[in-house]
Amino acid sequence: QDMATLIANRVSVVGDDTLVAEGAVEVLYQGRRLRAARITYDRPADRLHIEGPITLIDGTGSFLLASQADLAADLSEGVLISARMVLNQQLQIAAAQIIRVGDRYTRMSNSVASSCQVCADNPVPLWEIRAASVVHDQLRQQLYFDSAQLRVGGVPVFYLPRLRMPDPTLKRATGFLTPELRTTSGLGPGVKVPYFIALGPSRDLTLTPYLTAKSGRTLGLRYRQAFATGQIEVTGAVSTDDMRPDKTRGYVLATGAFDLPRNFKLDFNLQAVSDPAYYLDYAVSDQDRLDNRVEISRTRHNEYISGRVIQFRSIRAGEDNATLPSLIGDFTFHRRFDGGPLGGEGGLRFQTHSHYRTSSNPLDADLDGHADGRDLSRVSLRADWRRNWVLPGGVLGAVMGEVSGDIYAIRQDALYQGQTTRLDGAAAVELRWPWVSTATTGAAYVIEPVLQLVASPRRLAPLPNEDSALVEFDEGNLFSLNRFAGSDARERGVRLNLGIGWTRYDPAGWNLGATLGRVLRRTDPAQFGPASGLAGRSSDWLAATQLSLGSGIKMTNRLLFDDSFAVTKAEVRMDLNRDRYGIGSSYVWMLADAGENRLTDTSELYLDGRYDLTAAWTGKAATRYDLIADRATNASLGLEFRNECLAIDLSLSRRFTSSTSVEPTTDFGLSVDLLGFGSGTKAGPARVCRR
Amino acid sequence: AQGANVAFGGLKVDSSLPVEIESDQLDVDQATGVAVFTGNVLVGQGELRLSAATVRVEYDAEGKAISKLHASGGVTLANATEAAESSEAVYTIASGSVVMTGNVLLTQGESAITGQRLVIDVNAGTGTMEGRVQTVFVPAKKPAKQP
Amino acid sequence: CGFTPAYAPGGPAEHLQGAIRVAAPSDKNGFDLVERLEERLGRPEAARFQLAYTITTKPIGVAITPENAVLRYNLTGAVDWTLTDGAGSRVAGGKVESFTSYSATGSTVAGLTAEEDAGYRLMRILADQIVMRLLATSGRWAG
Repeated sequence: QDMATLIANRVSVVGDDTLVAEGAVEVLYQGRRLRAARITYDRPADRLHIEGPITLIDGTGSFLLASQADLAADLSEGVLISARMVLNQQLQIAAAQIIRVGDRYTRMSNSVASSCQVCADNPVPLWEIRAASVVHDQLRQQLYFDSAQLRVGGVPVFYLPRLRMPDPTLKRATGFLTPELRTTSGLGPGVKVPYFIALGPSRDLTLTPYLTAKSGRTLGLRYRQAFATGQIEVTGAVSTDDMRPDKTRGYVLATGAFDLPRNFKLDFNLQAVSDPAYYLDYAVSDQDRLDNRVEISRTRHNEYISGRVIQFRSIRAGEDNATLPSLIGDFTFHRRFDGGPLGGEGGLRFQTHSHYRTSSNPLDADLDGHADGRDLSRVSLRADWRRNWVLPGGVLGAVMGEVSGDIYAIRQDALYQGQTTRLDGAAAVELRWPWVSTATTGAAYVIEPVLQLVASPRRLAPLPNEDSALVEFDEGNLFSLNRFAGSDARERGVRLNLGIGWTRYDPAGWNLGATLGRVLRRTDPAQFGPASGLAGRSSDWLAATQLSLGSGIKMTNRLLFDDSFAVTKAEVRMDLNRDRYGIGSSYVWMLADAGENRLTDTSELYLDGRYDLTAAWTGKAATRYDLIADRATNASLGLEFRNECLAIDLSLSRRFTSSTSVEPTTDFGLSVDLLGFGSGTKAGPARVCRR
Repeated sequence: AQGANVAFGGLKVDSSLPVEIESDQLDVDQATGVAVFTGNVLVGQGELRLSAATVRVEYDAEGKAISKLHASGGVTLANATEAAESSEAVYTIASGSVVMTGNVLLTQGESAITGQRLVIDVNAGTGTMEGRVQTVFVPAKKPAKQP
Repeated sequence: CGFTPAYAPGGPAEHLQGAIRVAAPSDKNGFDLVERLEERLGRPEAARFQLAYTITTKPIGVAITPENAVLRYNLTGAVDWTLTDGAGSRVAGGKVESFTSYSATGSTVAGLTAEEDAGYRLMRILADQIVMRLLATSGRWAG
């Protein structure tokens, strides 16, 4: 396709070999489009003499405007006078003269580059880079500035003899990323200057030196590699600072995921940190229990297989890693199938679990309820079956049951040393009677009373309860044969699970969902702690509501309270989202429960909000408040500026928590990003010029 | 590779040369002095050839020399190197001006120009195409040069 | 006020049991969601509808002590779901959201199983919400 098309209102043939086109002239050639008022095509010289206003658009999303030009017939090279080049609809470079060379380079002499909106009434852009000359290499997507001068609001602030910047369409290129100023009480004022190194199409390395006034020397690192069947990412840092004088600190975190044959998946997450306070001092993460994990798994419609090894290391103040299970190995094979002649739905789960503590003391010296050195291995097999019937009157009846066998082998535990075999089972009948309002349009309503009678043996072989120590009671296990999270403990005796669900569903308007439930037992199995809500012969009332209003309000709430309305546990998450402002909030209240290693009540409120001060400026604030200790855990303020050519992020946060290894710290961060040079930040709304 | 770079000579001829006209049939109206040639009409003048379905010839006041040719029903005007086609054309001998109208197509080597109205001055060899003109031409390929 | 038993003869959900085939899961969350949906709607027998879903979950630390220990997490989750009939046209759909919680006090093994049980319960809550919405709108498409 090497034919060029010229369209015009009038074409005249003058003399031997010149052709003059006038009136809305357009030339199309290999994806390039030229618009002009008048073009003279000199055939022997194969040149186009063009009079403006000229627009030259090339296929890569950038275009040139000029008043006059002299180009080769294939538009690949030539000179444009008083021209302006716009890259990726964002970066504009105005120049007295633009020379296009060899279908690849564009040289712009005494040019001004900026991505800011320029209005007639205020021609000075927010920032601009003036340069003696700029060369744009279309192939390498780079811009080379000679004697460049950065001006902000017309005032020169920075000068560089040589400057190379990526063209906005460039996805990956070696070079500096946006620097960031950061001040923390522990490290003092400092600057982070990330440098990105592209190592071929599927690998890259980012080095981030971070130097601070209080002799903080840190080199951050991020290495990423993509393979045909997966990818890995390694992040880490090495630091020396005043907080731990003459001690090298740092962390490394490696994560990866791979597809294995026969659609198995491999996932791993390995991390190590030099000292407990490092993560918080350098705001890396607020994880307080590090887990190194390697897992191979496969999930299909009726089958789930998972094999994993986990190594835990707690960096939480006051926890001794020797008496906590630090090495854990699990294997699960879960298969679901049709009930065959029985009908309904059946399931078979084979599972092994073992964990190891480095301590070998068979007694419970640290009084956490578990022998300090206990190592445990378990093999379990569980079969379950369930079938639904539609009974007269629209009652949905269901019969269900499960049988499980566990073999425990326990070592270094004075109480439970040796092997224990346990057989258990549960059977239940469930009746649901959903009523539906038949309104064909608008809101639809559902009321569904549910009753479930469950029976399981009252006595079982004694076993230490470690994996089921933390009990939750919500709509997810109101109708469940065994509310314990793990296998060590199983719910005992006969109990009646009662509940009623009510839903108002209106996709166009507001939705409300509510569940009220309770568990009634024949005898109190004394298996549950005070904060679980399941203690006693009759459990606390469970009341869960969920509200979403058209005007952007979403609220989910769950309450456990007894007959005298004393609240055992309450949790609320509420979000309000409007275009000019938004508020997110969460609240948790819990009674103290020694069994769950929580010796005081918990009452904590979290609030975060954003408010658009103007189209470009957005204010943010957040705080987490501990109502029991009556003080804030952390608080932060943020100010964000976004317009079409500049992004400024200002953040101030204070963490008040302190422990043997961690001091309260204040963290102030500032980053300024010139948009239009291929930076990841999304541009904000452009300024509107007043007519 | 693209063939000789043909000079764009334009449709050039001396309009004072004699004009011969052949056709299958000729009807002459004595009163108005108008002759109508029909059926494969071919008009020749020097190197210029004009063919059309019908050509109406107007003579000057004395009735001797041809003053105007009105060609219609698909006209082709050509010389050795170029050709122009249109639905109608009017050739005013005295001024040497040919006005071709209706889906005009001017081809010349690999280049072609289409438009609605083409005015040619055969003496000067210049032509002007009007009415959303579209032309196709072949730019010469050149190796990329460093700045 | 217009209420009728959903599963009763002539009721909107009379033929709903076994009528929906749920799309195959690709991870543990999906496996638990499909298990609960098949418990409530029955295994597909000559299913006339397909249920497709996308699951997103996110743990958020709450109850942070003055010593900066995270005692509890809220696991927030959402499922975007669409129900299509045999001809592939969408007859129902929407987004259901909720959260469950798990404590992180006590031993690492207790924390690990609590975290996974929270995910299991969250998927059952979201599955039950989908079934409630299927019942609510069944009059319009399950006929």
